Amino acid sequence: MLAEPSKWQEFLAGFELFRDPLLCALIAGGVLGFLSVYVVLRRMVFVSAAVAQSAGLGVALAFFAGIHLGFHVEPVLGATAMALAATLLLMTEPTKLKLTRESLLGLAYALAGGAAILVGDRIAQEAHDIQGILFGTAVLVTPEQLHTVAIAGGLVMVIHLWWYRGITFASFDRIGAHVQGLPVRLLDGVLMVSIGVMVGVCARALGALPVFAFSTLSAIAALMLELRLPATFFVATLAGAISGVGGYLFAYFYDFPVGGSQTVLAGVLVAVAMAVRSLMRLVQRVA
Amino acid sequence: MKTADPTDPLMAEHSVPATFTPGDPLLTCEKLVIGYNDKPMLPPIDMVIRRGQFVAVVGRNGSGKSTWFKTLLGMQPPVSGEIRSNSPEMRSAYVPQTSAIDSLMPLRARELAGWGRLRGWSFLWPFPRKADRDAVERALETAGAKAIASRPYRELSEGQKQRTLLARLIATEADLVLLDEPTAAMDAVAERETMQRLCSLAHNRGMGVVVVVHDLEVAAEHADILFFVDRETSAFVMGDAQHVFCHPAFRRQYGDEYCHRAPKGPHRGNDAR
Repeated sequence: MLAEPSKWQEFLAGFELFRDPLLCALIAGGVLGFLSVYVVLRRMVFVSAAVAQSAGLGVALAFFAGIHLGFHVEPVLGATAMALAATLLLMTEPTKLKLTRESLLGLAYALAGGAAILVGDRIAQEAHDIQGILFGTAVLVTPEQLHTVAIAGGLVMVIHLWWYRGITFASFDRIGAHVQGLPVRLLDGVLMVSIGVMVGVCARALGALPVFAFSTLSAIAALMLELRLPATFFVATLAGAISGVGGYLFAYFYDFPVGGSQTVLAGVLVAVAMAVRSLMRLVQRVA
Repeated sequence: MKTADPTDPLMAEHSVPATFTPGDPLLTCEKLVIGYNDKPMLPPIDMVIRRGQFVAVVGRNGSGKSTWFKTLLGMQPPVSGEIRSNSPEMRSAYVPQTSAIDSLMPLRARELAGWGRLRGWSFLWPFPRKADRDAVERALETAGAKAIASRPYRELSEGQKQRTLLARLIATEADLVLLDEPTAAMDAVAERETMQRLCSLAHNRGMGVVVVVHDLEVAAEHADILFFVDRETSAFVMGDAQHVFCHPAFRRQYGDEYCHRAPKGPHRGNDAR
């Protein structure tokens, strides 16, 4: 049976404890929600999955290095480095490696996931963290993690809002943008690095599963509403932020795991958007 | 056959002067060899595309026309030779097929046309300037797309999508425009209207227009010059319809029918073989 949702006073009294994870979920959900429009429209959903999985491996490797090799590597650094490495690998033209894009994605996803489990097996004392990174049990977020997510998210949003016109053109009509003299490779690189960095830092703080959900389902919900492109970005940002914060609150009030709650809420928002679209169409037909 | 819409400004502009002569060179290919991984596909090509010239590129699938087109666009490095722009300020633009814009994209026709105003690093200014907005509105009007400007691109008919892309092309104010099968998936009427509009852009606005097209009759009817590309016989034939259609390499691929039907006149052409 569900727990009684009568914890508001308890929640408000201990708000200082929850402030950082909530802020982190808000920023991560919002920024990843914004980026999700590119992820979905450029058909890179599984890129996001593979990059998130690689970030999980990065955290596991950072713990492993600290425990078995004797040198300290910040887990967030490991996550970001592996996420960026996966992003760069997935940016390469797969035909050069005599592979299809799907094969490369499958390879990156399976290899990163399998390796994370293997490395996790050798660092039993940090097994909880590995579980957290893979499935999202981010009840607590350290101030360092929050600062990292906030700084990375802020930078990504400033660049993406400033360069919005260039990045959208280069993303959705690459040849046209190239012929009109836009620096397509740079703009593409900025987008891919943004996804890599955000997935990396957010996966460390929240877990790979909710990060994957924010970076895909938010745009799916926004696209359901058939809005203009700028409005789609706005709604996707909002959907990501709502999934992050709402999922955390739901998990707190009903004693569920945070990552799972955030992921399910992101999915519920897609269903809500679907219903809204059906309603809008019905109203249009009647009118 | 359906006649052109008299309220369509670009169609109203359409009149091919009998004495039309192409203008200054825009783009010159000198001993250009196209191919992949240093393997040539065709013999060296020497050619000039001029202002006000409407060029149709024809050839069968796999003939090398896409490679030539990609090389011209700068998406594919040449094996050897040179592509030279005759003016450092020359502006080029590319128009994809109507189907190349993803059906998921929540773009309005006006937003799509607005991309035509972006050039180089102009995106560093985050909002479109008034001059750009005005240019987009004029382009939409000229292309006959004003009435559909606020509608989602994916909901438009093929002809309307093409008008939107044409508005984007006009908004670029480019000297040289390259179009990859702009009439693919169109019915015969829409195809003819599109070609007439492009013809008008070349002849009345002085743009150099290069179009990859499959319909040989439409190409012969509208283009000032045809490029026939054939990898199998290593032929790159250029000239008027009669010259190209009666060339042995062309007849080998398409038979004699087109040669018999080609408009008669003095053969004008220049081949690389």
